[in-house]
Amino acid sequence: MLPSSNLILQSVLDGVFLGFLYSLMALGLSLVFGVMGIINFAHGDFIMLGSYLVWILANSLRSDPSLMSVITVPLFFTIGAAIYVAIIRPVLGKEPLIQIAVTVGVGYVLQNLALMMFRAEPRAVQISYLNFYVNLGLVSVHTAKLTSALLSLFIVLGVHYLLTKTWVGLAIRATAYDKEIASLMGINVGKIFLLVFGLGISLTGLAASLWMTFGQADPYIGSSFGLLTWVIIALGGLGGVSGLLASSIIVGVIQSLTMTLVSPSVSLAIPYIVFIIVLWFRPQGLFGKG
Amino acid sequence: MSDAVLLEVVNLSKRFGGITALNNVSMRITKGEILGIIGPNGAGKTTLVNCVTGIYKPDGGKVLFLGEDITGRQPHFIALKGIARTWQKIRPFYNMTVIEAVTAGALLRTKDVLKAREEAAEILEFVGIPRSKFEVLGKNIALIEHKLVDLARAIATKPKLLFLDEVVAGLRPHEVDVIADVVKKVNREMGITLGVIEHVMRFVMNISDRIVVLHEGRLLTQGKPAEVARDPLVVEAYLGTKPV
Amino acid sequence: MRARISSFVLPALIVVVAGATVPFLVGFNQYYVLLALQSVIIASIALAWNIIGGYAGQLDLASFAYVGLGGILATTLMTEYNITPWVGMFLGAGVSATLAFFIGYPLFRFGVKGVWYALSTAALVVILHEVSIMVLGSFDYYIPFVEGWYYLRFRTWENLYYFSLIILAFVISLNLYISRSKVGYYLKAIREDEVAAEAVGIDIRKYKLLALMTYASILGFIGYIYIVSQRTFSYKTFDSSLSVYIAIIGIVGGLGSVSGTFTAALILKVVEEYLRGYLGGVLPGLHLLLFGVLLITVGILRPEGLSTLTDALVKKVKARIWGGAP
Repeated sequence: MLPSSNLILQSVLDGVFLGFLYSLMALGLSLVFGVMGIINFAHGDFIMLGSYLVWILANSLRSDPSLMSVITVPLFFTIGAAIYVAIIRPVLGKEPLIQIAVTVGVGYVLQNLALMMFRAEPRAVQISYLNFYVNLGLVSVHTAKLTSALLSLFIVLGVHYLLTKTWVGLAIRATAYDKEIASLMGINVGKIFLLVFGLGISLTGLAASLWMTFGQADPYIGSSFGLLTWVIIALGGLGGVSGLLASSIIVGVIQSLTMTLVSPSVSLAIPYIVFIIVLWFRPQGLFGKG
Repeated sequence: MSDAVLLEVVNLSKRFGGITALNNVSMRITKGEILGIIGPNGAGKTTLVNCVTGIYKPDGGKVLFLGEDITGRQPHFIALKGIARTWQKIRPFYNMTVIEAVTAGALLRTKDVLKAREEAAEILEFVGIPRSKFEVLGKNIALIEHKLVDLARAIATKPKLLFLDEVVAGLRPHEVDVIADVVKKVNREMGITLGVIEHVMRFVMNISDRIVVLHEGRLLTQGKPAEVARDPLVVEAYLGTKPV
Repeated sequence: MRARISSFVLPALIVVVAGATVPFLVGFNQYYVLLALQSVIIASIALAWNIIGGYAGQLDLASFAYVGLGGILATTLMTEYNITPWVGMFLGAGVSATLAFFIGYPLFRFGVKGVWYALSTAALVVILHEVSIMVLGSFDYYIPFVEGWYYLRFRTWENLYYFSLIILAFVISLNLYISRSKVGYYLKAIREDEVAAEAVGIDIRKYKLLALMTYASILGFIGYIYIVSQRTFSYKTFDSSLSVYIAIIGIVGGLGSVSGTFTAALILKVVEEYLRGYLGGVLPGLHLLLFGVLLITVGILRPEGLSTLTDALVKKVKARIWGGAP
């Protein structure tokens, strides 16, 4: 009993859309890890926090979730900067295990805060201007997914442009390359770190707004997104925007296909199985150099 | 000095991307000597030691230790065979006490922790760490002490050949003299053959029996310290008068 | 050398004797005995974690992969085939150790460490969680009521509690033994600096794998007791959050510190139970939130955890017992 080719095509298309959104989710994590060397285990929980925030805002303002990014992005930049100053800065230069422990603590706090406030049931935004399908014959396109994919791609490329073509981007890359040399060049490394961490977290606020146009919030999506974005970084290798996009789309398509062809629970496990196997044979990632 | 060859390196090469860090280097270390390995920055000195001790796998050539081919073997295997080393950038065990760190080295030749601790204590005293420091954590000691503990940890593995990678880097002049005395003692009293990678000329010229000079990944010359110091090729390499 | 064996057996004996008085102190109140049993199980798991996490310094986040696998195996063997858990627990230990080997061997062989090791182990729990939904379905399995030492199940919790104390004593002794043996020195050296450890002749892959498999086999063994104490198992037994919680105990207790880890496990369990009992209905997850805050605080202010406090206490007690200088 083979599934129809239409079904497979549809599933690949959905996977590609999801993959673009994943690349936006992973972008902030990749920046924070690549530039600061900080291992943020709470990254996914910020997406979760953002999703709840978007849920509340969109429902009370009776507006589309994606528009809530106007609020979440600056708010999350501020939250990120505050967390950097209060929690991350004190452990810079300490053993990785301590850094991981601290961010695990942040994730634990956020997850359980959500559990306390919203309980475990999933929440979705009722209003979305884009929640309909456009039938294109062979496949149909969910407009919210398409829009979130396009916006994600736009943002990822925008941040790439920022990093490669502007003075701030140059300073960020110099810092990533060598902190000491960067500070000798007159770059304020402390400010760059604050900026990068704030940016990294604000991108989760943005990703959350797009996610909520078709997804749901529950306290545990943070853990899933957290692990998933790390998997994407591991597969993509650090540094390249093309590696990030390619590995995100691979993960999205694998998930979508296994969901359609096998079962939802397998679709959740498959990326991790791929991840472990890739780690064994290519610790630098599928698209990393070395 | 006996002429028995302890280590023989034959046409050793190592590349990193497009850069050739070691280019067909051949050299020998004979039993009992202190061999100075010098050269300007980027000459390939540390790469050479990393290839010999198994940190890097060489791209070509052979490493023979007491006649046995140990090319590309794992570091712990090479340590077991009898080659130890210290590190240019110190690699202390911060959350272990001084005596524990050295005991970890001594446990290579015995399973008995108490015996290893006793050996570690002797070696620490030998290199000049007082007993009062034995129970101090690695993160709470000074740089000179780190260098000595690093050295003691390497000696504790009972090597036949010990590489010291820029052991006096970052030390004050009187501390350099302390290390020089310890290094000579390690060679004479313990009978350990030494390969000393060095930048500080005064130190290496003072302690070495023989010197090899590396330059841009190649063996430039070798000989007695006094000969090497007069060699125009060496002077050129260091002063950079040769047009690049 | 005075008291070589007693130095790692005596503390365990003290814990067992002190622990054995608990049911009497609480007047055999089943709620408290069960709480004591659960505390002892968590402490045993955390101390097993200390071997891979505390000594070898590998941030393992897969504890409940091994607990679940070993426990579900032993439980299923009992319920389906009437095989005594006395056999099943050893099989559980073996299966968990085998899983650890197949995960650990390639990871260590290819030099996966730090964050990537932590993530792979976190991924392992998710994989087992999802795979077990396929295998077990999404129901809770309740163990049919059988009684007696053959099944290690009883009408009241005391016997199982005493049995768990023996496991705890074994894990404490094993920890203390390791910390004083060559393996312990080697694991700590690996934790501090893998490259330097290799250069003094330590086969880091072999010793990390040894630590991982020891940890996994203890967890696989305890699994059955854990499931009996929970009265049920399901795919949810492969719990990511609990696996992180075990690592939190180890870090809050202080890496490599037996007394610190033990104390942290007990304190956190009691606090958890208290908060759950009084506020759980109103604020689920409050205790976990507080543990998150605690973890952040420890990470920033006291990376050595509780160990400096508890070590000083242990020294004092030792001095009392042997009459030596503290």
